[in-house]
Amino acid sequence: MSGERRIVAFCCRECAYAAADTSANARTALPPSVRLVLVPCTGRVGPLHLLRALADGADGVMVAGCLLGQCHYREGNFNAVDRVAFVRRLLESVGVEPERCRMFTMSAGEPPRFVAAVREMDRVIAALPPLPRSGDTAPAAGTTDAAVAGMGVA
Amino acid sequence: MRAGVFLCECGGNISGVVDMERLAGHARSLDGVVAVSVSQFMCGTEGRALIEQAVEERGLDHVVVASCSPRFQGPTFERIGRELGLGENAVAFANIREGCSFVHRDEPERAQEKARLIVAGAVARARHMSDLPRRRTFLHRAALVVGGGIAGMTAAEELAGSGIDVHLVERQPSLGGYMARLAKTFPTEDCAMCSLAPRLTSTALEGRVHIHTLTEVEEIAGPPGEFRVRLRHKPRYVTEACVGCGECAEVCPVTVPSEYDFGVTGRTAVHRQFANAVPSTFAVDRRGSSPCRTACAVSTSAQGYVALVAAGRFDEAYRVAAEPNPFPSVCGRICTHLCESACTRGEVDEPVAIAALKRFVADTVGPTQEIRPAPRIHAERVAVVGAGPAGLTCARDLAALGYGVTVFEAQSVPGGMLRLGIPSYRLPHDVLQREIDQILALGVELRLEARAGRDFTVDGLLGDDGYAAVYLATGLQRSAPVELPGAELEGVRHAVELLREINLGGTPDTGEKAVVIGGGDVALDAARSLIRLQIGAGREPDVTLVYRRSEVEMPANAAELQEARDEGLKVELLVQPVAVVGEEGHVTGLRLLRCELGEPDDSGRREPLPVDGSDFMLAADAVVLAVGQALVEDFLEGCTGVEVEHGQIRIDRETLMTTRPGVFAGGDAAATGYYTAIEAVAAGRRSAAAIHNHLRGERLLPVWAADGEAARPSAAELAAVEGGQRTPMAVAEPESRRATWDEVNLGYTADQAMAEAARCLDCAVCSDCGSCARVCPSAAIDWDQTETVEDITVGAVILATGHKEFDAARKLPLGFGRFANVLTQSQVARLLSAAGPTEGELLRPSDGRPPRRVLMLQCVGSRDCTGSGNEHCSAICCLFATLHASLIKEHDPGVEVTVGYTDLRAPGKAHEEYYRRVQEKGVRYVRGRVGEIQEEADGSLTVRLENTMTGAKSEERYDLVVLSAGLEASDGTREIAGVAGVQTGAAGFIREFHPKLRPVDTQRAGMFVAGTAQGPKSIPDSIAQAKAAAARAMSMLSTGFAMTPAQVASSDLELCVACGVCETACPQGAVRLTAGAGAHSVVDPSICRGCGICAAECPTGAMQLGGFSDAELIAEATAS
Repeated sequence: MSGERRIVAFCCRECAYAAADTSANARTALPPSVRLVLVPCTGRVGPLHLLRALADGADGVMVAGCLLGQCHYREGNFNAVDRVAFVRRLLESVGVEPERCRMFTMSAGEPPRFVAAVREMDRVIAALPPLPRSGDTAPAAGTTDAAVAGMGVA
Repeated sequence: MRAGVFLCECGGNISGVVDMERLAGHARSLDGVVAVSVSQFMCGTEGRALIEQAVEERGLDHVVVASCSPRFQGPTFERIGRELGLGENAVAFANIREGCSFVHRDEPERAQEKARLIVAGAVARARHMSDLPRRRTFLHRAALVVGGGIAGMTAAEELAGSGIDVHLVERQPSLGGYMARLAKTFPTEDCAMCSLAPRLTSTALEGRVHIHTLTEVEEIAGPPGEFRVRLRHKPRYVTEACVGCGECAEVCPVTVPSEYDFGVTGRTAVHRQFANAVPSTFAVDRRGSSPCRTACAVSTSAQGYVALVAAGRFDEAYRVAAEPNPFPSVCGRICTHLCESACTRGEVDEPVAIAALKRFVADTVGPTQEIRPAPRIHAERVAVVGAGPAGLTCARDLAALGYGVTVFEAQSVPGGMLRLGIPSYRLPHDVLQREIDQILALGVELRLEARAGRDFTVDGLLGDDGYAAVYLATGLQRSAPVELPGAELEGVRHAVELLREINLGGTPDTGEKAVVIGGGDVALDAARSLIRLQIGAGREPDVTLVYRRSEVEMPANAAELQEARDEGLKVELLVQPVAVVGEEGHVTGLRLLRCELGEPDDSGRREPLPVDGSDFMLAADAVVLAVGQALVEDFLEGCTGVEVEHGQIRIDRETLMTTRPGVFAGGDAAATGYYTAIEAVAAGRRSAAAIHNHLRGERLLPVWAADGEAARPSAAELAAVEGGQRTPMAVAEPESRRATWDEVNLGYTADQAMAEAARCLDCAVCSDCGSCARVCPSAAIDWDQTETVEDITVGAVILATGHKEFDAARKLPLGFGRFANVLTQSQVARLLSAAGPTEGELLRPSDGRPPRRVLMLQCVGSRDCTGSGNEHCSAICCLFATLHASLIKEHDPGVEVTVGYTDLRAPGKAHEEYYRRVQEKGVRYVRGRVGEIQEEADGSLTVRLENTMTGAKSEERYDLVVLSAGLEASDGTREIAGVAGVQTGAAGFIREFHPKLRPVDTQRAGMFVAGTAQGPKSIPDSIAQAKAAAARAMSMLSTGFAMTPAQVASSDLELCVACGVCETACPQGAVRLTAGAGAHSVVDPSICRGCGICAAECPTGAMQLGGFSDAELIAEATAS
């Protein structure tokens, strides 16, 4: 079902992914648009990953990390905040809605915050028109070659 | 790539939503996938067998597991990958349970599609996953345990028992922590100290445990296994010779609130916290130099003698006051007392009357002193020229050092300005003479009416007379010349000469209307002397003081100015003399101009600017000029090589020697400071040290004393002081006293002195009075100890820095800190302790009587969402209160004890049963809280308590209220968290790595936490956690080496441009830039924690995180 909206969620292992696991164990339903990508810390996530995700088929990309001041690696989430802010400004400057890229924070003990974040992101993205993509149709999600093509990274 | 995809049904959790066959079909179609299997439980033996088989038969190089969250079984499958020879980073995860089947149960079609994409994403990622290197690191078999309470000691002993050397660091003078302060412990009601004491002893005896008390951890650097720790040892000021007899504490005059006893009693500056302290050595709480001491020119321990006066120990007080200063009776009267200006008490109400207290002890004890001649140790003789305070002090010190000393004085009486400048109503001549005689009694020879340059010469002293050194202390014995037209008229006198004439017994003519020009103490002395002379001549006094600036700028002592005004002195301010006017060669008046104050001049005082046309005439038949002093230069005759510069003798500031070797100078004549008596005494002391060093040929004594670190009470301590006032000193009545030369200020009585001395705030705590050193039978007091630093290397660190009690004063309506009979449980623990301040008797602070009705209030500062407390439950307070209620009832069943609670929490073994038993003893438990406590006149407390079970509200009166204040992280815990780089959570407790699964690890590898530093808990829980932390440390250090993790950052040398962004970005300090040509970044894998911040910052893509490279992340993000 390509054409369905896709939201890529980079989640830090300590807090966001843990909150996701906990809420899933409670069988809390989520919008199917979200795809979780585990990172050890949101500090690992850079503009490269955020922009690539949007460029290669995602309608929205979110970064979910620990509450500010409680990062398990001390300050990675502060770095993530800066980078998400940068990407949003960049998107705006090229005419893309900045709300397609967003940061959320939560603690591992707050599964409802994770659920609320995903639902909010889905709601916002759903209200936006599809992302215009250059050239032909976007590479169909699910094909590995398309994903790797044009990446320029070994 | 040859990848195998292994799909787990998860016992229906996945297969119940996702069609596994369809999913398997899609997986097979993916590029690079050569094998696909389905299992009911992929994490079980069947699943493992499937993987093993596929790896062998299909030659797999990557494994993709589609199952539950990688956070659950990730390590299981990664280990399988390693064991099957696939290396590190060969297993990719498709989270199709928490990531799909659990959250899309009601939308199976969309779940199916999503599962397909998630698996595709994992396969795409696998394509970019390559093996990662791991390295061995060395682990020091040593550990650091920070905190010497029950948790710290337990952990230390466990580690030592397994052969690991332990450094146990404690900031207090003794081990023991909180448990040492408790009375009994629940639920067994064992005596806390009895349980702890054997622990203390065994820790002390355990050879592998190196105990460092009064020590802080200043820095921890380096990787786990090789932590480089800097310890800072604070001085104890007591050596190991101490046998713990306690004689020192018996004589210490300073008492401050005892922190060990939570303030319910005091302790002395030299103290030991409790009898079984480890080490058993006493310690001196010495905070530095009190403001009074720092301000004094001779660094008198004013706090010392004031404390001794407060204790009624006048002899010892005299000894402290007189040690640095041979003129305590003199200075107690006429000193400018900068100590009082600096006195911290002045910030509360008024400064302590330090000078008056010095006078009291000197007047009381001084005359009783028996002085014997000092033994003559050295052959050399020293000549002192000038018997003023500088010369006589120098003579005293030199005599005490064993030299022969002769003092030459030009006048017929000794004393210098003290004798000839200061009028006797301020400083009686007999008081001064007594202190001079006490100096001479040491064996100092005095020759009067011997003037240098006339009766002898300095050259002669050093030549034929055979003196080894000469000290010139001739002062400034004449008035400074003044350019004032008419100053040569009859009736115009200079103050210095006038006062000398009066003090030598003369009665100079004073006229009927006298004017004194000047604003300093000399001007006032002259003016008040004139008043007395005029009355003595039978006239109504008429003396006016004229000064060119305003009262605020007057250098004279404000109190003396007031005394002068009370005696009838008239004062004209802001007037400048223009000329003295006369008739027939005699003064008839003084012409003056009015002034306005302009900008400050070089001295910082505002410049007086004469106002044109404002001149007026002041009639006078006597004018006295008191505008400065100058050097009398007769001594320069026959004094080769000594130079005078800017009107004073030139000396080297370090050696205090003049330009002629062997000739020294000091005091007013050589200008080394303010022109005051105490400065002259200081000059004399310095010069004696300098002469001694010169004669002995080496620096035996310091010449200039270094100031100690300034000490004063904290702002909180100052705020708690109740204001009052200075004890007023009796003063002779002005109308009668001005007709005599009798002393004006009459001194304190003993009661007044003790009351005034009690106002001292003990700024430096230990006052350096020296009482302890004098009584110690082992000579164990050592004032020269300083802070030292020690560097050690350990493999693991355990943080066991404990907790502190919530400050109940933050709950204002409960009256803690305001009402005497509101205490906390900790304070009650001290009172109920058999070895405590009341030997186990619970007594009300207000009247010392046992209470008949006691109320305990729970949850003070805990379970509190108001913002003025902590949200957490402090775990032990319900049982703490129950314990104390039980002890009180045990002691006297007739005492009514009520516990007002929110929920009565008694988790843990035997605790509920204990609560039951205590209820049966008759302790009343009421479910309800109290909003406000009110204090009655007799100290009892009225409380409005609502019983939330019955709804009844009652107003009740209690003799004693005990607040169960909660637990928070101790200050030490917050500080060590910063030093160690570990995170803290709510209320400052150290955060464990994972609250359920890794409760004693912190986020920093190699650092563990135990006890109440991690969160509120009971003693058995602290002990258990300490053993757990020790086990973790042991397990880490057991092999002697470790493998660095795979998930670490590494830099590709080809791509790295050495920009250094990674080095700056790394929060762990794991990244370094190498230097020189070919510079690049290098990651230390034993420090790297695998967060990936550096990789995200890297502009070239050189820095990648193992297992989370850009390619891996992007592949998964875009294909799923």
